[in-house]
Amino acid sequence: MVRSQECDLTISGNVYDEASESPLSYVTIFIQETQEGTVTDDDGNFTFELVCPGEYHFIFSHIGCEGKKFHFHIDQDTTLNIPLSHSSTILGTVVVDGKKNNRGEQANSSVNRQNIEDNANQNISGILENETGVHLIKNGNGISKPVVHGLYGNRLSIFNNGILQSGQQWGNDHSPEIDPFSSDKITIIKGAAAIEYGGGNLGAVVLSEPKRIEEEPHLHGQVNYNFESNGLGHTLNTRLEKYASLFAWRLSGTLKKYGDKRAANYYLNNTGLEEANLSFQAEKSWDEDVFFEFYASTFNTTLGVLRGSHIGNLTDLEQALTNEVPFFTEDKFSYQIDAPKQVVSHHLIKGKLKFFLDESQIVDIVLAGQMNDRKEFDVRRGDRSDMPSLSLSQLTFNGDISYTKYFGEDWKLKVGNQNIITDNINNPETGILPLIPDYGSWKSGLFGTLAKTYNKTFFNAGLRYDYEDQRARTISNTLPREIIRYENKFHNISALLTIKSNITRTQSLAWNIGYAMRNPAINELYSSGLHQGVSGIEEGSIDLETEKAIKNTLEYKFFPNSDFTMNALLYYQRFKDYIYLKPQDEIRLTIRGAFPVFKYEQTDANIYGLDLSTQVTFSNTLYGLMKFSYIKGEDSRNDLPLIFIPPNNLFASLTYRVQKALSFSNNVKMEETEVEISNRLILQKGDILEEQDFVLPPATYNLLALKFSTNLILPSYKIRCFIKADNLFNTQYRDYLNRQRYFADDLGISVTLGMNIKF
Amino acid sequence: MLVLALFLTACNDDDPIIENEEELITTLGYTLTSGGETVTLLFQDFDGDGGEAPIITGGTLTANTNYVGSMQLLNESETPTEDITEEIAEEDDDHQFFFETDIPGLSFIYTDGDSAAQPVGLSSTLSTGNAGSGTITITLRHEPNKSAEGVSDGDITNAGGETDIEVTFPVDVQ
Repeated sequence: MVRSQECDLTISGNVYDEASESPLSYVTIFIQETQEGTVTDDDGNFTFELVCPGEYHFIFSHIGCEGKKFHFHIDQDTTLNIPLSHSSTILGTVVVDGKKNNRGEQANSSVNRQNIEDNANQNISGILENETGVHLIKNGNGISKPVVHGLYGNRLSIFNNGILQSGQQWGNDHSPEIDPFSSDKITIIKGAAAIEYGGGNLGAVVLSEPKRIEEEPHLHGQVNYNFESNGLGHTLNTRLEKYASLFAWRLSGTLKKYGDKRAANYYLNNTGLEEANLSFQAEKSWDEDVFFEFYASTFNTTLGVLRGSHIGNLTDLEQALTNEVPFFTEDKFSYQIDAPKQVVSHHLIKGKLKFFLDESQIVDIVLAGQMNDRKEFDVRRGDRSDMPSLSLSQLTFNGDISYTKYFGEDWKLKVGNQNIITDNINNPETGILPLIPDYGSWKSGLFGTLAKTYNKTFFNAGLRYDYEDQRARTISNTLPREIIRYENKFHNISALLTIKSNITRTQSLAWNIGYAMRNPAINELYSSGLHQGVSGIEEGSIDLETEKAIKNTLEYKFFPNSDFTMNALLYYQRFKDYIYLKPQDEIRLTIRGAFPVFKYEQTDANIYGLDLSTQVTFSNTLYGLMKFSYIKGEDSRNDLPLIFIPPNNLFASLTYRVQKALSFSNNVKMEETEVEISNRLILQKGDILEEQDFVLPPATYNLLALKFSTNLILPSYKIRCFIKADNLFNTQYRDYLNRQRYFADDLGISVTLGMNIKF
Repeated sequence: MLVLALFLTACNDDDPIIENEEELITTLGYTLTSGGETVTLLFQDFDGDGGEAPIITGGTLTANTNYVGSMQLLNESETPTEDITEEIAEEDDDHQFFFETDIPGLSFIYTDGDSAAQPVGLSSTLSTGNAGSGTITITLRHEPNKSAEGVSDGDITNAGGETDIEVTFPVDVQ
């Protein structure tokens, strides 16, 4: 069959820890096609002998690392040197096109693909929940958005494959409409003023990124299926990809169906969800000079909202606050989703061209369009429950161009221009005056960053200017109703300085300072009306001025060897003219009774804290992780605590891996069998005062989780199975940042079974 | 072409359509009749959630008298004025009015019923006792639990549901 059956080739190599560059022992390596396996020695070395020429897939795995699979064509003796990423806190280096792309060397942490797959029973925000410095603002469990260092909503930018996610980001009860299965890595950047990622974000950026399509000629893919007991929820995802000769492509589709969730002691009626998503990616390179990427995705969901959380007036709210069990609770489960509910869809189309002008110059051009459609339904009188109470359509166009140049001794310059055009309208089908007005806006930003590596120190300076033009067409909330137009022009500046040094071979220290300006957003200026999201009447303020903030971060890392890493991040952010929704003394009387009033106002604020994380590999079978976050927010002008700052929390986990791979039949091996026990402790917020909220923050709570997982390696497939239990002891608890806490307990125990088949 | 289309849409400058606020109730009138005497308690709030204070008109009732009570709900932001009372009557199973007062000797009886013979409150009887003064609060609940304890007797405690109307009138009994 083959020209010469010379099965005498040797494959040898070395596996090392990406961060510390020290060798990794006890790494298991499998050749999928031959089922041959070996283990690295104390120096990280391995050898396969008497190998036949051919195409092979190698699977590398080690405790505490993200496993890796590589495809190689072997026709001669080959040496492989493989880095494995050991730390969930990547040290800011990503190798892209042969050059290091340091992300400005800002403090960041990321969630890898296996974590995404193991947690896909949740939405994209839920997957980030265990990262340090991250908490979630929720409205029930299906609806949640990330809070990073106390920043969320208008202050946190979320990027979907490089495109700033458009939509109604201002709403606390609006989840980011991104399918986690479309992502291979989700990174949280916590540095100050991330210059390249749009102006206006004051130090928190979340990047959801699919990876490059591997140069693998075969059709590869995976099927993921999860079943979750709480909500009797099914999640199904399929992904296919191929580096075909015409162009490389990847297709991914997800379906999700959940019924009513359950708190520790009762059903949370009407909290089901349905989701249907599709994404398509195509890539093509011409020579080594031009690279083109096309990406299109659609995300569609229907989310039920707890019936008992939609209140009438203040009297109803006060009654609900005293109820043991939310009103409208029934002891029955259903997949049916009625009002109140949200129906949202988000479509994205993107094209990117990358020109490698030569060895040291790159030009990127990105064009994208997004369409976000959001309808929110309330229980209404007459036959109107099928008529949305809120119906917003937003069309966005993004156009970016950037130029990168590497020159001299480790210098890197990047300049760019980014533009966003937004058109937002209320569809006239609600019979209710809109909460936020129709508007159009145009934003254009110009930025430049300069980086230099000198010996063991890295410097980065960045500057950005943004111009924003907003045109709002509002309807007065006084009588007679008339149309009032506003036009605002804003000029914002951001600046950034980073100095990072590998002070010794095992320690690094990074200091980052950034200044950013954020102009008031449309909802902060012109909101008007009853907003269930705040349980009251929300009003904008046309006098708001631009927010200015300075954020300082200091990050220390200690990584003596592959067995231990420690990461400590201290941050301090000072705001002038911080915009927030302040409860007013006014109780507004309407025919429906009395309602609390919230108005957007400005103050001066400070947010500061510490993120600490440690990873320890105790032996080649035992691995531990610990994360702690402390955060404090103050309204310094009024000497009050800031509301919506997350509680302090501690997360710890211990993973035991069965070292030996078990062989079943000739062709089936079971490896990477692990048991993981983890605990999340959320401490009560003690600083909020009675007059700042309807109810004081809830008590400290503790959630225990247990997970079993294993991988089955077959000649053509790799099957990962897991079973995990969240809230193992069915603890009854409420979380400060879950609006549902006024009305109901949070989720009770949930067992999830997952299966992931890779081929 | 896609770019141009998006550009043009973004330059969309059309006036927003001022919606017809059909569900809004601007006016509640509780008319009490006895013999030749008619007293109407009126609550008017034309701007919905807006900041304009509502106009509340109380009344004076005669002591030791039985009045026939009739509820009327209107949306006066529309031209012509829309009668919402009918909508409530059509969804009578899902609605119930509650009457609360701190005036001693004043009481209410429901004189109507829905398809399950549970009270609604669009028609009622108000009986005054001796002279006194205080307030009467009328609450309309949407989807209350009419079979919970005390609810069909007019006790709001276990009713639940969502409040669509809650108005308080100053009343004198002479």
